Amino acid sequence: MSGAALTVSNLSARRGSRDILTNISFTARPNQILGVIGPNGAGKTTLFECIAGVLPRTSGTIEGEPRYYVPDGIRPWPDQTVRWTLECGSFAVALESGGIAAAVQSLDLTALLDQPVHSLSKGEAKRLGIALGLVVPRPVLLLDEPFDGLDFRQTRRAIEVLRATKRTLVLSIHQLSDAVRVCDRFLLLDNGRTAGEGTLAELGGNLEERFLA
Amino acid sequence: MRRELDELFAGRAFWLLLLIVGLLVGQSFITAVNAYAEASGIGGGVAALAQGLSPLDGFVTPVLGAYDLAITLLFPFVAIRLVASEKSSGALKLMLQWPVTMRAQLASKLVALLVAWLIALIPFAIAAGLWLAYGGHLDAGETLNVVAGYTLRFVLTSALAVAAAAMMPGAANAAVLVLGITIGTWALDFLAAGRGGFVQKLATFTPTATLRAFERGLFRVDVVLILLLLSLCFFALAGIALQLGRAVRERVLRDAIAVAIALVAIALAAQVHTSYDLSENRRNSFGAADARMLAAIGKPLEVTVFLAAEDPRMSDFENNVLVKLRRAMRVEVHYPFGGSSALFENDPRYGEIHYRLGGKTAISRSTTEEIVLETISSLWSGGLQPAGVAPGIRRAEARRSTGDEYPGYPLAKRPASAALIFYVLWPLGVLTAWLLRSRRTG
Repeated sequence: MSGAALTVSNLSARRGSRDILTNISFTARPNQILGVIGPNGAGKTTLFECIAGVLPRTSGTIEGEPRYYVPDGIRPWPDQTVRWTLECGSFAVALESGGIAAAVQSLDLTALLDQPVHSLSKGEAKRLGIALGLVVPRPVLLLDEPFDGLDFRQTRRAIEVLRATKRTLVLSIHQLSDAVRVCDRFLLLDNGRTAGEGTLAELGGNLEERFLA
Repeated sequence: MRRELDELFAGRAFWLLLLIVGLLVGQSFITAVNAYAEASGIGGGVAALAQGLSPLDGFVTPVLGAYDLAITLLFPFVAIRLVASEKSSGALKLMLQWPVTMRAQLASKLVALLVAWLIALIPFAIAAGLWLAYGGHLDAGETLNVVAGYTLRFVLTSALAVAAAAMMPGAANAAVLVLGITIGTWALDFLAAGRGGFVQKLATFTPTATLRAFERGLFRVDVVLILLLLSLCFFALAGIALQLGRAVRERVLRDAIAVAIALVAIALAAQVHTSYDLSENRRNSFGAADARMLAAIGKPLEVTVFLAAEDPRMSDFENNVLVKLRRAMRVEVHYPFGGSSALFENDPRYGEIHYRLGGKTAISRSTTEEIVLETISSLWSGGLQPAGVAPGIRRAEARRSTGDEYPGYPLAKRPASAALIFYVLWPLGVLTAWLLRSRRTG
């Protein structure tokens, strides 16, 4: 689709004999924030990993601008410092060091720069994950559960930072309240299938009811 | 590259390995120097054994032997950690999105592991320095040949460990796989000795057997090629396994293709019979005149050894005669009793060695070089007329014609300062380096 930052068409994925994703199609428009919403086991992480190319898909096409995916719950290179990890991540992809200082400052990581990654709390590791996405200057950023483990203030700050990036963001969020605050459009997943796609208004306004229906 | 080195130095496993390697090398060195000194008559007795001493057997092989233990039991964990940590921490999923191929990333891991190996060789360099300082002798060719053998063994084990870490879920499973394969090669090495056929041929390429060749001062091109091909194959398997975005069926197909290519290449490499005797005392070669005589025969020699694998005469014959014969001429060896025990052997031919050359046959019970050469010479001079060597030349004359006898290198010195260096200074140095490194990384 022309003008789309990311277009996924009929994507299916299977693990063993189990279908995890079945014919998922959606579009992410430039500079929009698309929230992928769904209960546990809906296939959100599998969808992200198929799009990023770190899991195989059985069928479907993925088109669009270069993208970068940060998985949920990672503590990459646990024996290294936060500074080293950010430099390593950015150096390998873009050789852009200016972005590191901005990401560190915006996500309040300055005090943690010399701490080893394994010593970070869950929230700190989550902020490092978001920073790892921000230091890689790719137009499309996929973040799996970026606010899981953050307190209210940190979540609000992270939302501000993500909105300010002016990139196309695809976020997997299981907290519907967070999703409503940060996302422009939504892709609803249920049991590996598309249960709906559109803005809050297009989806009927109440995501909780939609899910419980 | 910097990233891989940083990761290597960040793990405690590497520093612990360095510490242990230093202690192992120190223990081997002190034991070797003392044994050498005693054989050289340091206790006041006659240095009767000195003529049989060589630095290769008395210093290089036992001291580097400490690395065999490290390569088998310690280095695999360092190599496994480099890959398994990236898998379990989620770093691999980021790395797979980098504009750097997996091949390049694995190559940088290999370079980092080689750097680790070179650092681990420092205790050996210290031991060599001490040995020379005591007045000992080292031949550069044979010493570097053994170091090269251990380096190839290290590369192979590292490649296997990296492949295991890439293919198996979790570091513990990878470690079990690597140790299991290592034990399997030991079993093959033990079972195949003196049995002949494909199994014995296969066993000549186990890590232990290949090291034995290097420790004899022999540089076998086929062994080097096969070790490198196996290492390359393991790295290829690791690269395929880490491509998480490819379907399992595709990865299995690629694995099969990589293994098939490697097997064909290995089969071809096994046909290469070029070898170089880098030992100072030329222990893998006949005298020049004998070698010329054997080379001039131009026909294959068929040898049938009626000895059991466990019979000490078999290993004498294998190590002192066959290894030289194989380098000098085309030899086909049969082992009819290879699979049986020598204890209850009632066959009247037991103990005999049959030689067949150009339709003539000779039987001998000797496993000594001179008698074997006499036997072959009798077969040859009876009918064949090789060019370039006068018929009737005998081994005794050949030995006289080569001139100098190997003198041996007695060294009646105790390992002064070695305990202080290896047991105190080395651990302190490693500990200091680790603390400095830890402070840098917070």
